[in-house]
Amino acid sequence: MQRVNHLGDRMEEQKITVSQFIESVNSLLDCGLQDVLIEGEVASFKVNQGKWVFFDLKDEESSVGCFLPVFQLRAPIEDGMKIVVRGLPKLTKWGKFSLTVKQIMPVGEGSIKKSYELLKKKLTAEGLFDPLKKRPIPADLTKIGVISSTQAAGYADFCKIINARWGGLNIQTAHTQVQGMDAADQIIRALRYFNEKAEVQIIAIIRGGGSADDLSVFNDEKLVREIAASRIPVITGIGHEVDESLSDLAADIRGSTPSNVAEMLTPDRKAEIVKVRQTVQRLGGKIIQEIDLNSEKARSMVVDIKRQVVSKIDGVIETIRIKKQMIESMNPEQVLRQGYAIIAGDISEGNVVKITTFDKEVEAEICKVKEKK
Amino acid sequence: MQSKGEKMTTKKSISEKMKDLEAATEWFYSDDFTLEKATEKYKSTMKLAEEIEKDLNELKNEISVIEKDFTKE
Repeated sequence: MQRVNHLGDRMEEQKITVSQFIESVNSLLDCGLQDVLIEGEVASFKVNQGKWVFFDLKDEESSVGCFLPVFQLRAPIEDGMKIVVRGLPKLTKWGKFSLTVKQIMPVGEGSIKKSYELLKKKLTAEGLFDPLKKRPIPADLTKIGVISSTQAAGYADFCKIINARWGGLNIQTAHTQVQGMDAADQIIRALRYFNEKAEVQIIAIIRGGGSADDLSVFNDEKLVREIAASRIPVITGIGHEVDESLSDLAADIRGSTPSNVAEMLTPDRKAEIVKVRQTVQRLGGKIIQEIDLNSEKARSMVVDIKRQVVSKIDGVIETIRIKKQMIESMNPEQVLRQGYAIIAGDISEGNVVKITTFDKEVEAEICKVKEKK
Repeated sequence: MQSKGEKMTTKKSISEKMKDLEAATEWFYSDDFTLEKATEKYKSTMKLAEEIEKDLNELKNEISVIEKDFTKE
């Protein structure tokens, strides 16, 4: 009896309500398993009332129920897809254990590809990748915002190429993670920072090559929407030429790599120097060409004048020749040569007259004279 | 009157100098071109080109990392 009473006393001391018990368990879970990352396969995926997402995350032996509001689902998932979730284990007030999911990321090439295709289809239908919305790289670029990890090889490549190619640029870099579950949110914050507080003309999001898992952050729906909505034009250089992310599709311009972005943003100073030198050379050539042209004109004018003088002289010579011919045709000698004769003296019957031909002089007596009818 | 601050402080950027070079080049192909003025213009254009080349070789980029911590909201 005494023992029972003792137990009863002890039970009286430790007695808590069911709600308090659940609260205590949740506190313990919160302390011990805060932000736990779990990898597994999706099963029994469903969306209730368009607001709540439920699914089981399982492996070969075990399964845990997962829950999240639909707006936190930033990558499409389906049954059978492999994912990593970050969440908080929780005991509900009905005593059911579940994981309240904060973030989801597809993992493994197959799941990433599937999620990518589903989201691409959805965002394409919304017009997020419309080519007509794309803006060009601004002219006279002097201020560039860069979002990247300053420790990444891709960022080092970008800086190396841009410094080699051009100068006088103001480049502000927002250091963020470029892979992992936190990367998308950090890049979104950097995009907002540039759009709200910095005076840059273009934002470059750059990251070197990596696995499909590493690059999957750039298929995050919230990030893709943020890029598409950016007030400042966005250029991406993510991974290698063959890696196409939804961030690339949402950006205004896509560079194939970080180095390619540096090339697209800047002219090559060596090529510009060659161009400047060629311009000056061309102007020198233009002056020489003008001098040659003017000399040719002058030469041509001299030839023309000479031709005119010669022509005038020829005209005068010809006139003289014609006149000489005319004068010569009137020479009596020429008339006599044609068979005519000159008669001199009184032409009356019985008189003697002198007849001159081309080669003879004759004296003749006139026998008869009569008038011409 | 020119103030003290304005005096000789207008250093042109590369792109402004490139525009000047473009304008000078256009003159050589315009109706205003005369051989009398061309030599003088050519000399000044050559000087401008040398300045641009010098700027292109010497100019450096200013790269800074923003202090804000993007891991936090």
